[in-house]
Amino acid sequence: MKLLIVEDELALKESLIEYLSASGYLCESAANFNEAVEKIELYDYDCIVLDIMLPGGSGLQILQYLKDNKKTDGVIIVSAKNALEDKIKGIELGADDYLTKPFHLSELSVRIAAIIRRKQFNGQSFIEHDFFYIDTIAKTVKVNNKILDLTQKEYQLLLFFIINKNRVLSKNAIAQHLWGDDMDYADNYDFLYTHIKNLRKKIINAGGDDCIKSMYREGYKMMLS
Amino acid sequence: MKLFTKYNRISIAATIFTFVLGSIAFYFVLDYVLTRQLKETLRSEQFEIIHFVEEHHTLPEIQNTRHQWITVEKSTTILAKPLFKNAETFNPGENELESVKQLAFTIDVAGQHFLITVNKSKGETEDLLKLIILVTVGMIALILLFNFIINRKLVNRIWQPFYTTIDHIKTYHISNRQPLQLSNEPIEELNLLNESLNTMTQSIHQDYQALKSFTENASHEMQTPLAVIRSKTEMLLQENISEEAMKQIIGIEDGIQKLSRLHQSLLLLTKIENTQFTFNENVEMSELLSQKIEEKKELFESKHLTIEKNIQPFITLQFHQQLAEILINNLLSNTIRYTPENGIVTIELDEEKLMVRNTATENSLDVEKIFQRFYKAQQNQEGTGLGLAIVKEIGRIAGFQVQYLFHNQHHIFTIYFKQ
Repeated sequence: MKLLIVEDELALKESLIEYLSASGYLCESAANFNEAVEKIELYDYDCIVLDIMLPGGSGLQILQYLKDNKKTDGVIIVSAKNALEDKIKGIELGADDYLTKPFHLSELSVRIAAIIRRKQFNGQSFIEHDFFYIDTIAKTVKVNNKILDLTQKEYQLLLFFIINKNRVLSKNAIAQHLWGDDMDYADNYDFLYTHIKNLRKKIINAGGDDCIKSMYREGYKMMLS
Repeated sequence: MKLFTKYNRISIAATIFTFVLGSIAFYFVLDYVLTRQLKETLRSEQFEIIHFVEEHHTLPEIQNTRHQWITVEKSTTILAKPLFKNAETFNPGENELESVKQLAFTIDVAGQHFLITVNKSKGETEDLLKLIILVTVGMIALILLFNFIINRKLVNRIWQPFYTTIDHIKTYHISNRQPLQLSNEPIEELNLLNESLNTMTQSIHQDYQALKSFTENASHEMQTPLAVIRSKTEMLLQENISEEAMKQIIGIEDGIQKLSRLHQSLLLLTKIENTQFTFNENVEMSELLSQKIEEKKELFESKHLTIEKNIQPFITLQFHQQLAEILINNLLSNTIRYTPENGIVTIELDEEKLMVRNTATENSLDVEKIFQRFYKAQQNQEGTGLGLAIVKEIGRIAGFQVQYLFHNQHHIFTIYFKQ
């Protein structure tokens, strides 16, 4: 899978490349408008991570370019602007998703995976990992061919873990993924703990490994091969 | 007091003063002229008599009229010169006492001295004076009356643009997107006023806009470094770290989260103030509310809150989808955060209102301050202190009335859709 990361902030770009490369993506990057256009002209990407405010032009112009040239690259906008119109404008111009800075790398990773799944028409809506088999269209999970009876939140949680496998995910990142941006109950993460405990139990009961490790209860990590 | 009334009072006082002063002067001048004329008449009578005596050496036959009569008596003294005086004397023609002007002189007729007194009644003169004064007073009254009427009608009309301007200023609000645009007036002073106001609001507006875009840009610019910090902490987590280090990093993450949310809330507030939202979307409030409650189900459960729902189906509002979501989100988040453990939350929605009520352990919140930015009932609370300010602001631009009540140990937030 090939990604293009268009981001002018060097430090952020480095982190993005490091994190996403470790997730198995082939990452290329562009630090300004012209560089981005040049790369898009030459290559096709599975997904473009696009900053809106770029030196030399706007990310929205890049979207327009993609649209005009009937390019089917997936695009996720990462912008400092949470402005309502910008979001709508971006989606209208063909962006697949919109993420507001500062975002969690794990969140970005999950969104990219979702975009790529949607973009692929050759039936790649399945995720297979160790003993997991996930149908992302039917939203069903099998462990060792046994269907897991998961709530919607547990399904989301599992997908989040699998996409970010072998990564330490902070409780903040997990809670924000499940309950969105307005989730600000940093004083109490008990409910998250309960959720994870339930998911773990269901996986073990279905014959899977106890693969979700608690990191001092401040974060969690799914250990998969 | 109105400027017009003040002006009128001064003007009327000045007019009366001028006229009274003028009338007094006029009276004396007229009196002087008339008296002189009277004296002239008396003197010419004297000359006639002297002339007659010189020619005929006998006194003329005396012809008395109603207003002029002559008395002749023998005299032993001789007046050095003719003597004018005012007197009250009997008028034989009218048969009554009258105020007269007299001219007395002595004349020698064939060695015999006579004292001749010519009387001229002042009645005519006085009548004339009276008439003149009457006319003057009448004129004063008439002028005042006309002045008053003209002022009433005209001044009101002339001042009309002034009041229009005042109306415009009253309805002017700095967050309106337009500076004042007052019209050109033919009256110079009013035009000056309008032009000055236009210029003033124009510059206020520019400053305000600059400040706004500064706030917006500053907040935006801060999001990127925050994103860097967050990504770096996330990368750090992946290292093989101790529990202590992990706790520190999570502490940093919490800080980032808070700061980011604060920025976004502030930006949203600025956005709501700055943007002209059109409320042309049909928002399914019942559906949206149920969905949001469902999304937050675990959060309610984590504090063991009981939710009592009374949501009428198919309530639709002419509103803005995203603002509606924010509104409901903020209200629900607020409730979850501040309801004590094991509390009861009541959520009601009907055509008129959305009401969220929750049990409280503390007393009423400060009604005056609760919707203010950064107001927190207790200082160590986790929220941004902007949630309710945003609710209020959305209510304001949508024309909803947002109300807080404390009743029977319950906090009640109600949003009335129609004012």
